[in-house]
Amino acid sequence: MMTNPVRKITQGQFSFLPELTDAEISLQVDYGLSRGYAWSIEYTDDPHPRNTYWEMFGMPMFDLKDAAGVLMELQSCRKTFPQHYIRLMAFDSTRGVESIAMSFIVNRPASEPGFGLIRQEAGGRTMRYTVHGYASARPEGERGGNGKS
Amino acid sequence: MIDLVIGWTAIQSMSNWARRNDMILHMHRAGHGTYTRQKNHGVSFRVIAKWLRLAGVDHLHAGTAVGKLEGDPLTVQGYYNVCRDSYTRQDLPRGIFFDQDWCDIRKVMPVASGGIHAGQMHQLLDLFGDDVVLQFGGGTIGHPAGIQAGAVANRVALEAMVKARNEGHNIRVEGPEILRKAARGCSPLQQALDTWGDITFNYTPTDASDFTPTAAVAH
Repeated sequence: MMTNPVRKITQGQFSFLPELTDAEISLQVDYGLSRGYAWSIEYTDDPHPRNTYWEMFGMPMFDLKDAAGVLMELQSCRKTFPQHYIRLMAFDSTRGVESIAMSFIVNRPASEPGFGLIRQEAGGRTMRYTVHGYASARPEGERGGNGKS
Repeated sequence: MIDLVIGWTAIQSMSNWARRNDMILHMHRAGHGTYTRQKNHGVSFRVIAKWLRLAGVDHLHAGTAVGKLEGDPLTVQGYYNVCRDSYTRQDLPRGIFFDQDWCDIRKVMPVASGGIHAGQMHQLLDLFGDDVVLQFGGGTIGHPAGIQAGAVANRVALEAMVKARNEGHNIRVEGPEILRKAARGCSPLQQALDTWGDITFNYTPTDASDFTPTAAVAH
């Protein structure tokens, strides 16, 4: 079994579907806004499955009620970090929820090498396993696609 | 994972243990039939769901309405709401007889499991909404191209359906077409639909709500 057969990292919503177009992203943003969610943008060059908190691209847009504004922020983030992973996240502030309700990747590096499994032989016959991202083996700024950050 | 057959004191203790040890407690409900099967001298699963929420379990098998195990769709939705609501409102068709404020009592993630498959994704999403665990066991492992293909099929079906719903499509009506469209770009999903697409379980549930609108109200 291959862990990364299509050389595409599958995290969050819609990652098994073809990449969303900007028009499709806009519809999802509208849906989130109609439910009262606040959108925010995050990016990273280290998509390890346990890397929960990516870098914030600006503040969460608590007061923004228009999908076009969110898309504008997204374009600006894509321009700054064309070879990073970028995701849109919707925060639901409902009492008792207070959590991220939607999250999906909207930008990917040209090449996604995926992860390797590292086996460490420990005491006795014990094996310890850890997941290692091939991209994060390189220094920051050299991780995405063709060496450009 | 625990079952009802271990007993209520053990459920409570294991819930405390799980909380202390960073574990999620998955409550499979084998044994509930001994309480819920008989309407005239049993305990409704709605009540058991409330007890289990108070006991502090994290997941709870609460029925599927469309799978191999019986369950009246509205009554099952009532169980789901009891697990997930912060404030449960009276809802007689769903078997909820009174308002109940759950304050800050932790919610339970309901689980739909038992004879469900990718071809029912529109019904599952329409019935149960976002906060639910959908467990496709046979619907993953039984895939003709293997387990990984089965998992991909289910995930693609789910994502396509959520996307369509968010875009404003009426998935209850357009569901099968949305699945067929998604399957054009995903052969594992096409195989899953070919294998299970037509399978439904038709039965008259015994756990339907006692509530029936009188003729005067129904008009």
